[in-house]
Amino acid sequence: MGAQFDIAYVYDYFLKLLPFIRISLVIVISSIFVGLGVGFLVALPRLYKISVLQRISQVYASFFRGTPILIQLFLIYYGLPEILKLVNVDVSKVPVLFFVILAYGLHAGAYISEGIRAAVTAVDRGQVEAAYAVGMTGFQAFTRIVFPQALAISIPILANLIIATLKDTSLAFTLGVMELTGKSQTLVTVSRHFVESYIALALVYFILSLILERLFNLAERRLLRHESLVSKKDKVPMGRKWLNRTLEAEIALSKGGSSL
Amino acid sequence: MIKLKQITKSFGRQQVLKGIDLTVEKGEVVAILGPSGSGKTTLLRCINYLEKPSDGEISIDEFTVHCRKPNKKDIHTLRQKTAMVFQNYNLFRHKTALENVMEGLVIVKKLPKEEARNKSIELLEKVGLGNKLDSYPSQLSGGQQQRVGIARALALNPEVILFDEPTSALDPELVGEVLAVIRKIAKEGITMIIVTHEMGFAQDVANHVVFMDEGAIVEEGPPKVIFQSPKEERTKQFLARITPESAYSI
Repeated sequence: MGAQFDIAYVYDYFLKLLPFIRISLVIVISSIFVGLGVGFLVALPRLYKISVLQRISQVYASFFRGTPILIQLFLIYYGLPEILKLVNVDVSKVPVLFFVILAYGLHAGAYISEGIRAAVTAVDRGQVEAAYAVGMTGFQAFTRIVFPQALAISIPILANLIIATLKDTSLAFTLGVMELTGKSQTLVTVSRHFVESYIALALVYFILSLILERLFNLAERRLLRHESLVSKKDKVPMGRKWLNRTLEAEIALSKGGSSL
Repeated sequence: MIKLKQITKSFGRQQVLKGIDLTVEKGEVVAILGPSGSGKTTLLRCINYLEKPSDGEISIDEFTVHCRKPNKKDIHTLRQKTAMVFQNYNLFRHKTALENVMEGLVIVKKLPKEEARNKSIELLEKVGLGNKLDSYPSQLSGGQQQRVGIARALALNPEVILFDEPTSALDPELVGEVLAVIRKIAKEGITMIIVTHEMGFAQDVANHVVFMDEGAIVEEGPPKVIFQSPKEERTKQFLARITPESAYSI
């Protein structure tokens, strides 16, 4: 059993946890970048319907979405070195953090690829045709017209994912990584004030998530300013307009005969 | 001069264009009429390769695309010589009216920004939107959006502007303002091909009317002849159904 509850420990632990936010954020940020790269690569064959690669990316996405992140961590940390050993690559000196980022990156990539795919198909086909009609190349049409709008559409998906990844990083402690949760486990070994440490830990995660949520709201408002019916300075929430947008996207989807 | 030679197009087994020949002189305004499903929009979209013709030839002045084996560069050139105004406007939703018009000038024509900006403002003023430069499409009415679409097409200085039912998605009360703009630019001698259901407008603005049915041109000629003394039975039927009694006399 733990020691008797003492609120002072919550404050104490909270402060002691703060320096470890850094490592958790390092995991989140690096794995989101890995995820964006992987997600983008994986989304392309499915957007452009390249037969074999399309299959592979489908399998990848369903695997990483269909298995628990904890198992993925174990598979990559314990399994990958074994496989690499067979081809005579020794990775025993590679830091744990690398495996952790790889696992979270691949996990995020699966979701991001789905997000990119949905967002790109949601930008209606007519605008692409207009871009071609204006004389743009396929590349110009994608980078100038489709991508900026797809990015704006996918902000809420990305926001969810980043917050989810932040919370998921708590599992990295199972591999001995000293991030927030890992640290909280060591804090209580002497004092045994478990509950206090969990409260402090929950607070840290919660505050971080709150900050991220706010940042993404700002980004979304900025990127979707063109969807507002009122003047730019007006700060009316975009909930309603957002609804219209998805509806439009769905109509465009069915029109294009997408294989969603 | 635009010349289409034996343009055919099939979707799977269904042949939607059955060998279209059409010549459009410089400065001419051609109206394409016909019942829905007659292939008129497909024909228009073939001219700038938004739809890939199965066979035939498209020429603009000395430049020719052979549709059986077109190369990418030809298609790109063809698109730069043409511009299109869409039924659903298809404005770039994340760009303001001004940016919509500028986009092609800056990105495709590589004009310096300042020059593109001035030209775009001039064009938007011409279509009566000088006070809406910084509005996003979502802040504009359908008629206004379509006028931006027309300005965007004009900006490219194309050999021909293709209009794909430019008013059929509009509220009836907004149709007038768009037709007025089209009428205005028609007077400036810009070559135009217009697919439309506005019979009065076609009769009024076009110098040449093409009636299509079931993927083929049934009859073509000056508007007076087509509207008042059509030769083909099919044309008569169509006009009788679509034009109110008082609007024409046989």
